[in-house]
Amino acid sequence: MITLSNTLTSKERKKPLLIRLKKEWKKNAIVYIVLIPILIHFAIFQVYPFLLSFYLTFMDWRVIGDPEFVGLKHWKYLLNDSLAWKAIWNTVKFSIYYILPTMALGLILALIINSGVRGAKLFKGVFFLPVVTSFVIIAGIWGWLFRGTEEGMINYIIGFVGIEPQLFLSNSSQALAVLAGLSVFKVAGSTMIYYFAGLQSIDRQLYEAARIDGASPFKIFWNVTFPLLKPIHFYVAITTTIGSFQIFDSAYLLTGGGPNYATTTIVYYLYSQGFTSLNLSYAAVLSYVLFFIILIISLIQRRYLGKESNHY
Amino acid sequence: MKKVVSYIALFVLGFCFLMPFIIMVLGSLKDVEYAQLDPLFWIPDDPTLKNYKYILSDGLFLRWIWNSVVITVIPVFSQMLFCAILGYIFAKKQFIGREFIFWVFMGVIMIPQQLLIIPKYIMFSDFGWINTYWALIVPEIWGIMGVFLVRQFLQGIPNDLEEAAYIDGANDLQVFFKIILPLSVPVVATVGTFSFISNWNDLFQPLIYLTQEKMFPVTLGLASILGKEGNFGIEMAGSAVSFIPTFLIFLFFQRFFTEGIQMSGLK
Repeated sequence: MITLSNTLTSKERKKPLLIRLKKEWKKNAIVYIVLIPILIHFAIFQVYPFLLSFYLTFMDWRVIGDPEFVGLKHWKYLLNDSLAWKAIWNTVKFSIYYILPTMALGLILALIINSGVRGAKLFKGVFFLPVVTSFVIIAGIWGWLFRGTEEGMINYIIGFVGIEPQLFLSNSSQALAVLAGLSVFKVAGSTMIYYFAGLQSIDRQLYEAARIDGASPFKIFWNVTFPLLKPIHFYVAITTTIGSFQIFDSAYLLTGGGPNYATTTIVYYLYSQGFTSLNLSYAAVLSYVLFFIILIISLIQRRYLGKESNHY
Repeated sequence: MKKVVSYIALFVLGFCFLMPFIIMVLGSLKDVEYAQLDPLFWIPDDPTLKNYKYILSDGLFLRWIWNSVVITVIPVFSQMLFCAILGYIFAKKQFIGREFIFWVFMGVIMIPQQLLIIPKYIMFSDFGWINTYWALIVPEIWGIMGVFLVRQFLQGIPNDLEEAAYIDGANDLQVFFKIILPLSVPVVATVGTFSFISNWNDLFQPLIYLTQEKMFPVTLGLASILGKEGNFGIEMAGSAVSFIPTFLIFLFFQRFFTEGIQMSGLK
């Protein structure tokens, strides 16, 4: 066998290069015609900017004039920049407000539409609608709902149960939670889709068996459904975590990072450093911080999914 | 009993999820200034189309819509075409470096776009692309995610049909257009709908690359009037108009959204 394959390859090798190239071209012309321009495009718009950004972190980039090499200056500045750490902490806090509620609401929505109710398809669409709606539209309405005056809709509603009017977006301890609420509303629909797919893949016989054993619906949920959704819980947790670290739109639209930097998230801080203060080099450092955080989360996901992929 | 609970939850949550959209529509029909708004204002009385007339006679707003159309429609169609061909190449063709290139693509997908935007801003300044459509169209003509989706889809389809076509003397291009493309209609539709949503709703990139009001897409345009006193009805009318294309696409292609989300997640 070995000798046979060896002779074959050496025979192939003996053919003149031109003929082999011609043969390859005939076989794969479409690959080269399409792939080469795409790879050039990929190099220009993905690879080169990625490298340029890393290079930028060691330079002082100016709008006018040549960039100057400054070594680790910007990275050192990051270590002592309390605002950067506050931005990271704000983003972590945002994640805490956002991840579990999004997962819980998504699971509840999936359970409801999976419970055999009529009109499930229509309501699935209703719950999914915010996912495809732009942040600008939802933020405009959200800002109106959560106006921090007595005339605000939410203040009016909570007035019925005797709660004082709240400042919401102008209160530095509430603003981030209001933004997280907006994101929960916007994203729960896509979480629902994942959970719905998971629920549909559970073998119905398991429910039957549990029911015959006399388990209550609540017990069936906790002991059968919930554990079987484990891969989905994990996947959804990872994607919502990655999403939460990239939050920007609502902070830009509704609070401008305030009040008192309470809603300055990593990306908002990056934006204001880079494009308001025109400190592009430092913004590049911050973008690498974001990248490392997302990279770590993605690596955890890959490792875990590698192990657990047998489930699906 | 269980059914009753389900129905109550369904209607309560359904109402909550629709409420912002109801507020948008009713708010747009109101002739009231933001500052005077009453919490109960959205119980309709005396609706007017004044706000719609105002924005639709405003050249700037129509220009914003047009800008959004340009920076959305071109990438949607080019993404569908390129992602289909590339997905086909990576799923069905044998060539040197195929696995390596795809592996690089899957690595790069982890880079957040916020990282690339700073160097791209510098590059586009050099290209003279600031305040032009180019900055928002050229980088979006194909996408790794779309290639991934089509490849994933085509790998699940047996090669019998293509092989038969090759035996009949068809070439790659014929196989692609006559066999692969018709088979991939659902996944290509998914790529198109995803591309539509991400481009039509994008705020971050236009915010960076565009400074002239007349170049704004409708997202950035609406953001620039957001929360200004006295604008609520106009803002809601603008939101409603900018929402119509999204809503129509969603209405007709909902299946492709949800299937696409499942496909991209649970491999």
